[in-house]
Amino acid sequence: MKKDFISMDQVSVDFDRQQVLKGVNLTLEQGISYALIGKSGSGKTTILNLVAGFLKPDEGTVSIHGVKVQRPRRETAFLFQELGLLPWQTVAEAVAMPLKLRGQKKGIDMLVAELLHKLGLEKHGNKYPQELSGGEQQRVALARTLIGEPDLILMDEPTSALDATTKEELQGLIRWEQQKRQATLLFVTHDVEEAVILGQYILILKEDGRIVQLENPYYFTENAREQLGFYEECIKLRGMIKMEKDV
Amino acid sequence: MKEGSWLVWTGIKRGIQGGIKRFAKGQFAGFISFLILWEVFHLLLNTHTVPSPLETLVYIVKVPGVLLLHCGASLLRVMAAIGISLLIGVPAGILMGVNETCKRLLSPLLYFIYPMPKIAFLPIFMLLFGLGNTSKIILMIWIIIFQMILSVRDGVEQIPPSYFKVMDSFCATAGQRYRYLILPAILPQIFSGLRISIGITLASLFFAENYAAVYGIGYYILSAWSKMDYVEMFGGILVIGLVGVLLFNLLDLLERLSVPRGTNPRKKNP
Ligand SMILES: Nc1ncnc2c1ncn2[C@@H]1O[C@H](COP(=O)(O)OP(=O)(O)OP(=O)(O)O)[C@@H](O)[C@H]1O
Ligand SMILES: [Mg+2]
Repeated sequence: MKKDFISMDQVSVDFDRQQVLKGVNLTLEQGISYALIGKSGSGKTTILNLVAGFLKPDEGTVSIHGVKVQRPRRETAFLFQELGLLPWQTVAEAVAMPLKLRGQKKGIDMLVAELLHKLGLEKHGNKYPQELSGGEQQRVALARTLIGEPDLILMDEPTSALDATTKEELQGLIRWEQQKRQATLLFVTHDVEEAVILGQYILILKEDGRIVQLENPYYFTENAREQLGFYEECIKLRGMIKMEKDV
Repeated sequence: MKEGSWLVWTGIKRGIQGGIKRFAKGQFAGFISFLILWEVFHLLLNTHTVPSPLETLVYIVKVPGVLLLHCGASLLRVMAAIGISLLIGVPAGILMGVNETCKRLLSPLLYFIYPMPKIAFLPIFMLLFGLGNTSKIILMIWIIIFQMILSVRDGVEQIPPSYFKVMDSFCATAGQRYRYLILPAILPQIFSGLRISIGITLASLFFAENYAAVYGIGYYILSAWSKMDYVEMFGGILVIGLVGVLLFNLLDLLERLSVPRGTNPRKKNP
């Protein structure tokens, strides 16, 4: 068994007397991808914010490598649903920024060019975000998340704004990059299909704060969407999200 | 043959249309239409208080050295006032934009002072800072700085919270946050603030230079007025307008050079 990478221990969060998370326990291992699903408003984004260090729990602890998370850490990268591409930065500038913020001086241009090429953005280096399509913008944000070689990647609904084809392309990219880098991926999605494509484990956040963890039988299958039983698995998961109490 | 003449005709037509378009786009068009309007007024009113534009232009061309001297003195004052306002206004605006306490403490004060007729404070400045350049420059600063602070503050407040979260997620230091996020985000606001400031300071020269001044285009207009030399007066007014055009163009150039295409209203891709 691998050592626990991230652990949440009896974590509770309240917003203005509304309890959003109640006694959540969760452990994640290094190098594995996890899909976090659950009803809207169940606290999925809140969990990502806790792990990222944007938010402190009211009770309990969140730790990475046994160290309590107090603030954002360098090795964690967050892909936001709103992307947050700065309109005054070109694609190349945006992707270079995380390295510059670290004080790196040498070899930035080469690393950026290499990554842009890998993500099929080599032609767009000098464009500004508003000059790109939605899928291209998403890939730029992904490149900006990956350039710093993070060991933990957090994503909040990374493909929700995309059409079906672009979505599948991006899912393929995310899957490939995560496996190649052996980074831990924790992503939130509304799309059960996406959870089955991208998540080796699927975490279902229930309203009572429990997290049900399932191993995804289709994770290592090529072209999972074309496999018999893929959609049955999705329907089963959808049912489990809806169910109030037990599995 | 027919084909050929048609081509020539469309060529000419295109040329004329292009010419009109270029003319309308150019700064020169504004100037010419102003002169035409002026001439119309001159003819309609038929009084020596409104001299003809031609007469005025001829006058300007006759005394360029004197006018240049007056313009130079005014420009120095305007630049000093705008420069100092930027140095104070931008940090103050940023502080109010990022710090909730500063904003709550200072905003009511600013709103209170903002609509006041600033010229009315002139006697106080004369008393405190004397009759020289200091009181003139401080008056102009007093006139423009509040809108400068408020536009910078609004610029900072308009930055989407998600941008700050992005910077946080990459562990940006406070300094990096200014360099990569806050300053580029408010740059367009600073330029529009400057544009407004230039207009207001040039207009306020009329008051700032109406006492104890020897050089200054505001003084020049006033002294012509008191001499009832209307050609000279309109010459001065026209020159202020030209100085304005010059400064606005300079500002546009600076903006084109310093604001990236992504946030530049002057560089939109078609
Ligand atoms: N800053 C906040 N202040 C007050 N309440 C908040 C805040 N952020 C989230 N909440 C509340 O916490 C609950 C959980 O929010 P969260 O964003 O984590 O849900 P989610 O599972 O990500 O939902 P969705 O799937 O719709 O994105 C919601 O009821 C929300 O109203
Ligand atoms: Mg959410």
